[in-house]
Amino acid sequence: MSNMIEFKINGISVEAKKGETILQVARKNDIYIPTMCYISKTTPCASCRMCVVEAEGVEGFVLSCNTPPVSGLDIRTNSEALELERTNIMKLYDVNHPLECGVCDKSGECDLQNKTLEFGVTTQNFTTREQHRPVEHWGLINYDPALCIMCEKCVHVCNEVIGDDAIDVKFGGYSSTIIPKQGDTLDCTFCGECIAVCPVGALVSSDFQYSANAWELSRVPATCAHCSGGCSLEYETKFAGINGAQEIYRVKNNFEFASLCGAGRFGYDFENRALRDDAAFERAVAAVKNAKAIRFSSMITNEEAYMLGELKEKLGLKLFNEDARMFQEFMNAYSTISAKKHYSGSLDAIKQADAAIIIGSRIATDNPAVRYALTTASRHNGAKIVYAHPLEDALMQNTITQFMKYEVGTEEGVMALLANAILKDADLSDHERAFFDDLDFGYLDAECNVGEEEFALMMKSFTRAKNRVLIIGNDLIAHERAQNIAKLAALIEKYSDFSLVVVPNEVNTLGVSLLSSLDKDEKIENVVGYNATGSFVISSLLGADMAIPSLNQQEGTFVSIDNRVLPTNVAVGFEGQTLNDILLACDIRHYTTIDCTKELGRFAGFKACEFDTLENFLSAHGEDNRGYLLDEVACEAKGTLESVSDLPEFNGTVIYHSNPVLQFNAYTAKTKQLEKDKSLRGSAQFAAAARISDGDIVEISYGSVSVTREFKLDSDLKGTIALNPTFDSVVDASRYRFEKSKIVRVVHE
Amino acid sequence: MKNTQEFNNRNVSENGYYLVDIADYPTDGWGKFKRVVQRTFRGELFVGLWVVLREMIKFDIHTIQYPQEKMPIGPRYRAVHEMKRLWESDAERCIGCGLCEKICISNCIKMDTRIDEHSRKEVSEYTINLGRCIFCGYCAEVCPELAITHGGEYEQASEQREHFVDYSYMLTPLDKMKAGTQVEFEGFGAITPHEDERVKKTPLAY
Repeated sequence: MSNMIEFKINGISVEAKKGETILQVARKNDIYIPTMCYISKTTPCASCRMCVVEAEGVEGFVLSCNTPPVSGLDIRTNSEALELERTNIMKLYDVNHPLECGVCDKSGECDLQNKTLEFGVTTQNFTTREQHRPVEHWGLINYDPALCIMCEKCVHVCNEVIGDDAIDVKFGGYSSTIIPKQGDTLDCTFCGECIAVCPVGALVSSDFQYSANAWELSRVPATCAHCSGGCSLEYETKFAGINGAQEIYRVKNNFEFASLCGAGRFGYDFENRALRDDAAFERAVAAVKNAKAIRFSSMITNEEAYMLGELKEKLGLKLFNEDARMFQEFMNAYSTISAKKHYSGSLDAIKQADAAIIIGSRIATDNPAVRYALTTASRHNGAKIVYAHPLEDALMQNTITQFMKYEVGTEEGVMALLANAILKDADLSDHERAFFDDLDFGYLDAECNVGEEEFALMMKSFTRAKNRVLIIGNDLIAHERAQNIAKLAALIEKYSDFSLVVVPNEVNTLGVSLLSSLDKDEKIENVVGYNATGSFVISSLLGADMAIPSLNQQEGTFVSIDNRVLPTNVAVGFEGQTLNDILLACDIRHYTTIDCTKELGRFAGFKACEFDTLENFLSAHGEDNRGYLLDEVACEAKGTLESVSDLPEFNGTVIYHSNPVLQFNAYTAKTKQLEKDKSLRGSAQFAAAARISDGDIVEISYGSVSVTREFKLDSDLKGTIALNPTFDSVVDASRYRFEKSKIVRVVHE
Repeated sequence: MKNTQEFNNRNVSENGYYLVDIADYPTDGWGKFKRVVQRTFRGELFVGLWVVLREMIKFDIHTIQYPQEKMPIGPRYRAVHEMKRLWESDAERCIGCGLCEKICISNCIKMDTRIDEHSRKEVSEYTINLGRCIFCGYCAEVCPELAITHGGEYEQASEQREHFVDYSYMLTPLDKMKAGTQVEFEGFGAITPHEDERVKKTPLAY
């Protein structure tokens, strides 16, 4: 108890932890202090000065948002002087604020409106000459400087949580505005977080602007269906046009504590609009009954995965899902060393970390939730972040402290060296110690191209760190030697204070890997595709033989990167049949999809609870009340490390399957607002090596696949590896993401 | 003032009221018989016929010849809605704030808005389901722009209800604006006389 600070607010005794501010303690104890610029997830902006309080024995007012209490302090949050001070601040905020609440998007949920009414500001007592401030159009975002109250929340989240650092305050008294940091227009990843936090209607979504009022929209709490981050969001729906059906108008999130990337915020319109087709349903039932296997993607709910498992049992068919199978094998290998089923880390662990290693992922585009967590750790804890990858990522440049470049394909060697550096003094068992003693350091250093001094530098920067995280990306999961890599990761987690996070590739890769017994994919005839390729395709995408609802038209649960089972809800209706109708036709009775939610309890770690008992909200103090965490499952630890095999070499033209910002899969590719850049992107060095130039149409062949794309020079890229997008589903996203390829310029006649 | 005083005086005897002389109801058989004979042979039927004939000959007729003739309607009468235009620019007054849609207690107003090419809010669709409307006047009262008001058009008979929900039917036609004959509504939501004298002006120091 020695590090608790006891003091009083309004005569009530309260306690603060070290580092907490007066405002945080007051909020925790449900004591109201008005604020305009405060946002829980960033450092205090301290621009509004509304949160002033009086402290006994202190002259003047104290800013409660950035002042930590001292023991025995006596705080008063209400007095006539404070009320006058706050009312005057509100009067100043209201000076020349355009009286356009009637058309403003924010009307009805506007902080300025609320506070103006709260403090009863009915007239304007001050005056200043108004200036000409035209509306700025920044792509998906519109900025109206006349409405801006300069609270600086947007600048703080952009810098401290997102990491784009794209906007800045242009100081100039009454003519202060928010400006893009570089150039005339906004150049960022368009996460839209600035729109979310804006307390007034200054920053708005250009697509949503003026299309609906806050009070007309019904909110559907759901979980984002684009990546494994499992971000909470609310779809807001309204009738489209005066005779239209319900449609999603926008996405909002609990911006006070959680973040959302642009794909979640702007990529919501991926619903399947296909109509009910009974003939197609009959054909689908026949196809499933005759099928030898079902191939499915991980972009499904846990309930669907469970039902596919039942079909497998009933009809004796095989289940193919390479992405989830590789993840499953990776985690199984992990369990054989760690003696437990789930990795220990989570996004919260990353946010609180002061040391992190991220390896084998272009994380900013693979999983923005992890990137935001890393940014938060970097800005708030000064975390040392080591980014190990063959390719540099310009988006992570401001966040990482050390870039560790290794050669393509040598992930196993890098992990062995990493484990060796971390576990130098660990209390390993004899054969584990023998593994490290047997390593041929000269060979590994040379092949991986990571020097001993780089690991030494890393360990030195980590010396004072208390919360360390190792984040493992898809390059390692899809690697040929994934199992040994998993064992090395487990070893690091077991013998050091590192917690481990493995980034699942798709939205529900983790859930599917826990619920399905999968078979190795074979190229056989008579495969029904469920959101995947096959001889008969049941899919929520265009061109399906039978239509099923998309993830924003379904109830069900996902398992997120946090090992948390998260519920999602129906935002848009779907008239046709779903998987449980096919099961009914096969005599397996589930009348709704969510009947299966409690059946999940049969699997280790899951709870047997009804879907309707699952909550989906963050509390007023930011506690996560969404779904439930998977229980830890003990496993048998009988695995042993294999010695590191010869490291493969990737020479010639190498491409890396990686999506552009805000694109993940065929669903994000369907949306109206997100940019769909399908080009191959490479550096000038790559262009010279492949003898192509900017704007060329090129044919890319690797393995048995060949794709035609436009080539674009990207000044942010370096080195000789080009980025090949996978969201247009031309590429099988479950392969090892680096490919030796042949690139030929297509000559037009 | 005078009128209300008259009404407020409830003392019946002072205002020249009198009781109608009605004979008591007969109790015995003979009395009843006498009354039947009296009523049968008094020729009351012809009294009524004479009154009608007399008035017909005088040609002093008070009946309004509806639908050829119509009574003037009070300015606060709440009949079919009208959408007004601005006097200055002839532009529509409606800004699409959605308050009428929100306040409507019979849920008969529906609107859709969008951003127009000048980055302003524009109403793209607007309907009132008059089959549902109870003409309570809340929409006109809540409208911040005096855009939606009630009009005097109380005749709602048609083969199609849709005839009355057409936005262009409610909107003041442009030729009427040109002629300056748009009539301001004086009912619910209208500004009271001398409102401009009561408005507090923003101080302008420059």
